[in-house]
Amino acid sequence: MQTFFLAVALGICFLVLLVLYRVVYGPGVFNRVAAISAVGTKTLIILLIVGFLYQRVDMFVDISIVYALLNFIGCVAVAKYLEMER
Amino acid sequence: MIHRGEDIIIRTISRMLIPFIQLYGLYVIMHGHYSPGGGFQGGVILGASLILLLITHGYHDARSRVPERVLTVFSGVGVFIYAGTGFLCLVLMGNFLDYAMLAKILHTDAAHARSLGILSVEIGVGMAVMAVMVSIFLDISTGGVLPGEEEEKQKTAEEA
Repeated sequence: MQTFFLAVALGICFLVLLVLYRVVYGPGVFNRVAAISAVGTKTLIILLIVGFLYQRVDMFVDISIVYALLNFIGCVAVAKYLEMER
Repeated sequence: MIHRGEDIIIRTISRMLIPFIQLYGLYVIMHGHYSPGGGFQGGVILGASLILLLITHGYHDARSRVPERVLTVFSGVGVFIYAGTGFLCLVLMGNFLDYAMLAKILHTDAAHARSLGILSVEIGVGMAVMAVMVSIFLDISTGGVLPGEEEEKQKTAEEA
């Protein structure tokens, strides 16, 4: 089970690299915002898998909830800023 | 960023979400010594909930919920709780923040006194961090002059 979770975590890390291309070269700001949001959700899953690997899921669930929260708030803030710029 | 928002989806979602965020922030503060988190992190979460309120509802609608004067008082009271706990230990013949000395006035053993002392310090840190974070956000997003204050200043200038 440990190796399975490790493989899944590494796979998601690879996917983060793919999405990172969209963050750096993506045409327009909205592609970048959506890609950053996707990276945030993937990071959340990686955090939970790391928690499984260290047998401390109860601790890592707290951290991942905070991460999801700040991701949402940051996304709303960036959207609001773009609305103001227009 | 502080303008009034019209999007009903964002407003409704944030109005439903903010109480749970604040409850979670209180949980992070109270469980700081069992799980990751503590005063600073819980204060950041509480401040983020207020910042979300200000972003989604605009400063004019949320002004009564987040008054600048209350934020100043909260930051001062938070620092006072932190330093007061430390100096209370100093008065009770211990070192600064030597919580075990609190056992004399709390009528418990040293372990319980340490736990309660750390809890009170974390509550103080959480209050201060929450107030200062929202205050910094207000200062940056309005350029130091709040929208209401600007009108009042113009009025007083015209009257003079």
